[in-house]
Amino acid sequence: MWNYYFLLGWRSLRRNPILTTLMILILAVGIGTSMTSLTMLLVLSGDPIPQKSERLFVPKFHIADMRGYKAGDKPDFQFTYIDTKNLLRDKRAKRQTALFGLSLTVDSGRKDLPAFSERGMATTSDIFPMFDMPFRFGSSWSADADDKASNVVVIGPELSEKLFKNENPVGKTIKIIDRDYTISGVLDVWQPTPKFYRLYGSDATSRPEQIWLPFTNAVSREFSNSGWNNCSGEGAGSGYEGWLKSECTWIQYWAELDKASDAAAYRDYLSAYVAEQKKLGRMPRPEPFQLLSLREWLEDAGVVGRDTKLSTWMAFGFLMVCLVNLVALMLAKFTARAGDIGVRRALGASRKEIFRQYLIEAGVVGLVGAILGLGLSWYGVHIISSRLAEADDFYRMDFRMLLITLLMSISAALLAGLLPTWRACQVRPAIQLKSQ
Amino acid sequence: MIKMQQLSKVYRTHLIETHALRGFDITVKEGEFVAVTGPSGSGKTTFLNIAGLLEEFTGGDFWLDGVSVKGLDDNARSKLRNEKLGFIFQGFNLIPDLNLFDNVDVPLRYRGFNAAERKRRIEEALGRVGLSSRMKHYPAELSGGQQQRVAIARALAGSPKVLLADEPTGNLDSQMARGVMELLEEINSQGTTILMVTHDPELAARAQRNVHIMDGTVTDLTQETRLALQHAVEVA
Repeated sequence: MWNYYFLLGWRSLRRNPILTTLMILILAVGIGTSMTSLTMLLVLSGDPIPQKSERLFVPKFHIADMRGYKAGDKPDFQFTYIDTKNLLRDKRAKRQTALFGLSLTVDSGRKDLPAFSERGMATTSDIFPMFDMPFRFGSSWSADADDKASNVVVIGPELSEKLFKNENPVGKTIKIIDRDYTISGVLDVWQPTPKFYRLYGSDATSRPEQIWLPFTNAVSREFSNSGWNNCSGEGAGSGYEGWLKSECTWIQYWAELDKASDAAAYRDYLSAYVAEQKKLGRMPRPEPFQLLSLREWLEDAGVVGRDTKLSTWMAFGFLMVCLVNLVALMLAKFTARAGDIGVRRALGASRKEIFRQYLIEAGVVGLVGAILGLGLSWYGVHIISSRLAEADDFYRMDFRMLLITLLMSISAALLAGLLPTWRACQVRPAIQLKSQ
Repeated sequence: MIKMQQLSKVYRTHLIETHALRGFDITVKEGEFVAVTGPSGSGKTTFLNIAGLLEEFTGGDFWLDGVSVKGLDDNARSKLRNEKLGFIFQGFNLIPDLNLFDNVDVPLRYRGFNAAERKRRIEEALGRVGLSSRMKHYPAELSGGQQQRVAIARALAGSPKVLLADEPTGNLDSQMARGVMELLEEINSQGTTILMVTHDPELAARAQRNVHIMDGTVTDLTQETRLALQHAVEVA
């Protein structure tokens, strides 16, 4: 009977096409709006590196002095150069890396390609295995290059295609500002969603940087941070050396532990480090540090903003309004079919069968609404992605979202169909048969 | 086939009670063709609706083909209605967006027959009413008489024990009405019990037995009374 009812539901779409079109449109618009918002929310609140997110941690220190301190104030989200250097030296995690943003000029040496500006990242070689960054050609620079502040670079796939087309450029050089850097590797396409590794001074929806060079090299060349700098107390000091020695925070720090349970030991290490620094007159605030897991870090940084949450709630509120309208339209449609219901009841349909038939009919409306809603959602996500995210395909609907759309649309239609279907079951056949 | 004892039906609103049937006794034997007459509001349709398990009764007992109907739930009543009863209505009551084949198919679906059995029965039923060649047509493409024939085919397809007809010729001209009546007589001659509500004394006279309902009670008319009534109608 399910097939039969599905067929009847399908045929019923052609009956009163204006009403049917309105029902489907109302549902599709409601689903399209809510799925667009839900996609944004889920993409932003997703786990960007699920295979190891439990083992990735961000340490945070309270660098500022006691001026303006309030209990519960969060520690700084970035490190000073002093702490970065100390923690990198100690190597107490399985892997550790530090990074700060760069805005660099690349000179291709070609007449057809004038010098251009490119975003980069100063970091350590540990970052590539730490974040499972895929390589198209070559590999990371060596730890030795980190120590020697060598002129080596890993470039992104877009920059590689721009400069070398599809060639393997490993071993070749590119001129960054005024020095040649040897390419040790080319990254493959890599778009963590959200872009978690540097959330301040860089948008969570932006494309990964195209130039990655050693942290030590960037410092030796006195590159300044392209991003968020926070200075308190004595300020930045004088010159680059003063900057490095200052209590300004501008470096993002990450640690990868062997297993999540190693966090306690790492906390002990941080605690001991803070105690040592306190003896040196630094970090005067109580509760001077935090160790955040990746998930905590994303929440702490507010990747899923209040606007996104609010717009999702509003979109679902709009879906509810659509459903109320759908209920009214279905009531009108099913009430007009009271005669048919009377005939079917007379011919042997129980109330249960009528309930099934009309609920499946509501489900068919949901299915067609889902297809149209899916199109609207896809379009909505595409528009949002192109307007709000740097990466065009940052917000995208995957198979899971397709499934959610389908299920949500059919469930919404079934929910909206409950009252009209129940009313249909209450039709008294004797009255309908006589009145026809 | 149908036995009602001291049956009553009361319609209640918060203001009044209306006794549609009271102390209603009737027995219809298998194979009978019974015409039910009576003035408007006498309770004919209520009786037919109760006999067709479309309405519940307030008091008394009712047996359909030996099964006591009292206290049966909706599922059991629907099953019984589907298996034992066929309906023919004054307004035909075909489903407009289904073709003839699918209209006749409706009761067979609820019966649970497989596709081959349903097809066989539909073809046989439509053949019996002379509409085999119109299976793919829609009701709106047929005359009133043809639509009523489809309704008869739909009622017959499930091989019901009893055919309940409520003014089956009420919307037809005399020629079409005669054709439908001949068809009902033929069906009755093959063993199907028919209970027909009608206002038309001429049609009532063609039935084997006449019952008259007045103020919710039933009177079995003798052959003589029937003829006298028919004569009186003709004179009037």
